[in-house]
Amino acid sequence: MPELAMIIEDDEDLSEIFGQALTAAHFNVEIVRDGTVAQRRLKELKPDVVILDMHLPNIPGIDLLRQIREDHRLEKTRVVITTADALMGESYRNQADLVLIKPITFTQLRDLTSRLHR
Amino acid sequence: MDVIRSASRFFDNLIDVPSIDPDDSRRRKLLNIILMGMFLIAIITVILSVIAKVLQFAGAENISGILIASIAGVISCFLVYLINRFWSGTIASVIFLLIFVFIITLADTLHELTNGRSIYLLSIPIIIAGVLLGSKASLAFWGVATLEFIILGYNEINLPAIMSFLWLATIAWLSARSLEHALKDLRNINAELDRRVIQRTHELTESLSRERIETGRRDAILNGIADGVVVFDQSGLAILANPSISNMIDMPLEKIIGSTINELLSSGLKAGGRETLEAQLERSSSSFSNLRIEWEKKTLLINASEVRDDRNQPTGIVAVLRDFTREAELEKMKDSFIAIVSHELRTPLNAILGYAEMFKEGVYGPMNEKQLSVTQRIMMNTQRLLSIVSDLLDQAQIQAGKLKTRMVSCVPAELLENFRGVMEKIVTDKGLPLFTELDPALPLKILGDPQRLHQIMVNLANNAVKFTDKGGITVSLLLVDKSQWCIKVSDTGRGIPSEAQKYIFESFRQVDAASTRQHGGVGLGLSIVKQLVEIMHGRIEVESKYGSGSVFTVTLPLIVNAEAQTQPIPLIEE
Repeated sequence: MPELAMIIEDDEDLSEIFGQALTAAHFNVEIVRDGTVAQRRLKELKPDVVILDMHLPNIPGIDLLRQIREDHRLEKTRVVITTADALMGESYRNQADLVLIKPITFTQLRDLTSRLHR
Repeated sequence: MDVIRSASRFFDNLIDVPSIDPDDSRRRKLLNIILMGMFLIAIITVILSVIAKVLQFAGAENISGILIASIAGVISCFLVYLINRFWSGTIASVIFLLIFVFIITLADTLHELTNGRSIYLLSIPIIIAGVLLGSKASLAFWGVATLEFIILGYNEINLPAIMSFLWLATIAWLSARSLEHALKDLRNINAELDRRVIQRTHELTESLSRERIETGRRDAILNGIADGVVVFDQSGLAILANPSISNMIDMPLEKIIGSTINELLSSGLKAGGRETLEAQLERSSSSFSNLRIEWEKKTLLINASEVRDDRNQPTGIVAVLRDFTREAELEKMKDSFIAIVSHELRTPLNAILGYAEMFKEGVYGPMNEKQLSVTQRIMMNTQRLLSIVSDLLDQAQIQAGKLKTRMVSCVPAELLENFRGVMEKIVTDKGLPLFTELDPALPLKILGDPQRLHQIMVNLANNAVKFTDKGGITVSLLLVDKSQWCIKVSDTGRGIPSEAQKYIFESFRQVDAASTRQHGGVGLGLSIVKQLVEIMHGRIEVESKYGSGSVFTVTLPLIVNAEAQTQPIPLIEE
């Protein structure tokens, strides 16, 4: 049974590319494009990897990050933060397993996430 | 009082003789005064003689002679006066003096006149002649007196008297002459004074009218210009302002004039602006340029400079205000435009790149060689477009002064690793090796802007790759000394001609036009690097010999932040 990756990304193209990259990295992929939906889905599912965009409609990425970190059920979940803001990215380094600064290429994400398998 | 005044005016009119020659006028006036005196004496004598005759006083039988002489005196005085007044002063004076001599001659016995008590009377015409007819006339009347002595005293000529008269005449001559000279000098001085007064008056009139013209012109200029102008004196009071400033800050001119800087400020300056302006005033005392303040709904640009007089003493401050509202709005629009473009251009380009990559990686099925090559071209061109967009946006931000570095703790080893991650493929794709070197003497963590440092390294390396066909690229992070570290990017490319080294850091410049077509790019990479380095208070140097590669060295201040070394970065709330 392949591991589950949840991609939380509002941009349609990027979420498609990320989805394909994670599929190529042998994950089952669940794509969420909205903060509130993500909040709900994080309670229903138990993703092994979360690709989290920090700029989301409705709910800021930081709230979702806190939700994941406070949920014992998700204590083994690895979080990959994606942001276009390099400085913000730096400040999240301690809270995330991986911080990627946009633009993120398909091969970059595929190669990096394939190392996240347990 | 009026009676006295009009009597005096009448008397003045009587004795004054208008003449072009002031000496002549003076002499004729003097003659008139003497005549007036003699006329009065003669009149009184006539009256007394008539009374004595009528009342039959003792000895009145001999009075007829005196009466006749007095009447003759009155008549001659009047005639001489007429001659003096209306004809000639000289002739009148000569006649008067001759009559005077004649009267003296007739007034006493011959003996008394030549040797006795009346002899001194002859000195009177000699002395008066010098005053009435000019200094030399004294000598002439000495001649007259001598002649009279000779004629009248032919049997006993009084030589001592003649010599005494000569002596008297000489003294009269000399004193009259010195009086004349003194008067002449005085007149010259007066004339000079008059001339100067006239000249000064003329100059004053001219400068006044010039001033009026200049003031008029200045007012016209001040009133005509669109910029607001206000001048403060040394004590900080507004002494001059133009209508533009009145419109700009919506305050009548009369209210502006006489206000202090603070009073003007308090009327419309938005919160924050006041502090800015006060800080500026404190910092640079009175001269500053292009200070932007928010005034009610307007944005104003203030330029102020000290006014100094011709001795370089400060006399006040002139402030020129420009309504910058429209420009500020445009700037704001430009900023948001840049932000939108930045996001809207990059997002689809990233998507194109991503999809092309997926094609290439066979996500949507295998591709033939031709398809692969085309996909590669799509990716390459998109990459190029992305970097041009980034460069243009960076350049726009730098030029607007908006690009700020954010100093955080960063790890040199990570910098180098991230750099390798981006550049390794690009360099090796060109068949070149990429060498990286980390100086073990460098601190583990330093303070810097990792994003911008990365950009500097990537830009320099991209530039090196562009112009290198064989050999390799070396990137080193080195410790220079206690306070500096450097990024060194060396290549084995064709090098930069020395004349081109001067302008390679200018925007939109490349060594030659052909290289633009050959190597792509808009010529911003090195310019951005230089500007970034300068924002970070560093410097960039290039060492290159045409044909044997180039070395770019970026030297930056080394800041080791002890706090950043130990403390984790807190979670930032959005």
